[in-house]
Amino acid sequence: MVDGACLELPGKHETSREGEAEGERALIRRAQRGDRSAFDALVRLYDQEVLRLTLRMLRSEEEAQDLYQEVFLKVYRSLGRFRLEARFSTWLYRVVTNVCFDHLRRQKGRSELPARAGGDGELGYAEALADDRPGLNPEQALRAQEISHRLEVALRQLSPRERMVFELKHCQGLKLRAIGELCGTSEEAAKNSLFRAVQKLREDLSDLV
Amino acid sequence: MNCDDLEKTSSLYLYDELGANERAAFEAHLVACAACRTRLEETRRLHRLLGQCPQPEPTPELLVRCRQALDDALDHEQLGWRSLLRGWLWQFGPMPATRAVAVLTLVLFGFMLGWTLHPRARSLPPLAPGATASSFMGPDLGDVRIRHISEVAPDPQSGGVRITLDAERRVTLEGSLDDPRIRQVLVDTVRGYDNPGIRRDTLDALRMHRDNPSVRAALLYALRHDTNPGVRLEALKTARGMQWGADVRQALLDALEHDANPGVRVAAMDALVEHAQEEGMNETLMPVLERLAASDQNRYVRLRCQAAVWKLAENER
Repeated sequence: MVDGACLELPGKHETSREGEAEGERALIRRAQRGDRSAFDALVRLYDQEVLRLTLRMLRSEEEAQDLYQEVFLKVYRSLGRFRLEARFSTWLYRVVTNVCFDHLRRQKGRSELPARAGGDGELGYAEALADDRPGLNPEQALRAQEISHRLEVALRQLSPRERMVFELKHCQGLKLRAIGELCGTSEEAAKNSLFRAVQKLREDLSDLV
Repeated sequence: MNCDDLEKTSSLYLYDELGANERAAFEAHLVACAACRTRLEETRRLHRLLGQCPQPEPTPELLVRCRQALDDALDHEQLGWRSLLRGWLWQFGPMPATRAVAVLTLVLFGFMLGWTLHPRARSLPPLAPGATASSFMGPDLGDVRIRHISEVAPDPQSGGVRITLDAERRVTLEGSLDDPRIRQVLVDTVRGYDNPGIRRDTLDALRMHRDNPSVRAALLYALRHDTNPGVRLEALKTARGMQWGADVRQALLDALEHDANPGVRVAAMDALVEHAQEEGMNETLMPVLERLAASDQNRYVRLRCQAAVWKLAENER
């Protein structure tokens, strides 16, 4: 669980934090002066996690790819305004959240699910799901796919804010106080959004529960 | 606490969002209230159901595509006016007032420069009688961009000047890929041009002639040696459609075993498994897949290789 005082993208190594932080600041300074290789190195530090976030938020490879690019272009254009005493991962996380939120708001109202990638060597959504059970039970796999599909449909019925809060809480494990900050709202408003999201999901998935 | 308030509280309880006092009060209420216990259990079942949904993980191929697209977008961004202005302004540091003065100075300078130069352009004297517009020796400079001037040597005796410069001229070639000259330009581009996006587009253009010997060699070269994984992936996709020979099989096996990028390794595996039976490759391919299923550094590659081993074993039966 990550608390609001430390908004850090999960997965970063904890060893030699001071050294890593200084190394990262050096990269940022160079990137701010226009060093493209430094910017590329900065992207590589975080881009897998950014892609994971956007993919879990949008559940579509195509949209995740678009948002990945939008996030890093925004970062590139506004990196000059980033103050080095702040934590870069928190700033980046805020950019990701805002971009996803804007996308969800634009998308609201479209009823069809995004087309799945498929064919010609591209991976379909189901194949992209993590699978660490080599001896998978086919019935269990089928049920998991059904639940995933029903969940996806149910998530699209949520408002953009409800969806954002639910994903950040349920999938990313952030505290509601931190979620409120990222979404530009209060902790109480984030709690209400989470509650409404859970209510709606319970109604839509009642036959599966 | 009444039971209606507690409906919201049960979600927050399961997400560990309650303070110590609230938590204690909630748990005390649960002891006495069967309806709230039932409601909590329903919410808990919902959480368990949501936990059964596997979370999507980005594939290596998706990551490669994202990185390649971002690389191209940043290349365009760097050539744009925004980047030039940003680079100039960054020199003045973070002080907003200084930056504003810098912008204003730039605008005023541009205006004054234009105003100063414009009347001069009109007042250029006409050519003296007998003079010609281009009385110089050398190549036609139309449509030429000067990159570097290495020497300017005036000749006091003749009044002339010798200028040595490097220039590039934009040339547009159009034609069919049946034309060997066009093909050769494209093959050279695949082998040596420094922009990976152009190399990838070139591979796409060469697709219909992939069985031409020089094109084939260039494709396999790109698959083996190109520094950009997106380009290697494009070469691999084109190679799949070639007439297979020992060179293609070996290039794909090398990609499967040694390519640094997991997305390329998976694509090579797919191509080899697809053709394994018709190419009689099962005996060669199976041990490689088994080894990678056990020891590849990438978890996704290990899983896919294991699935491929099962598939080949199934086909054998």
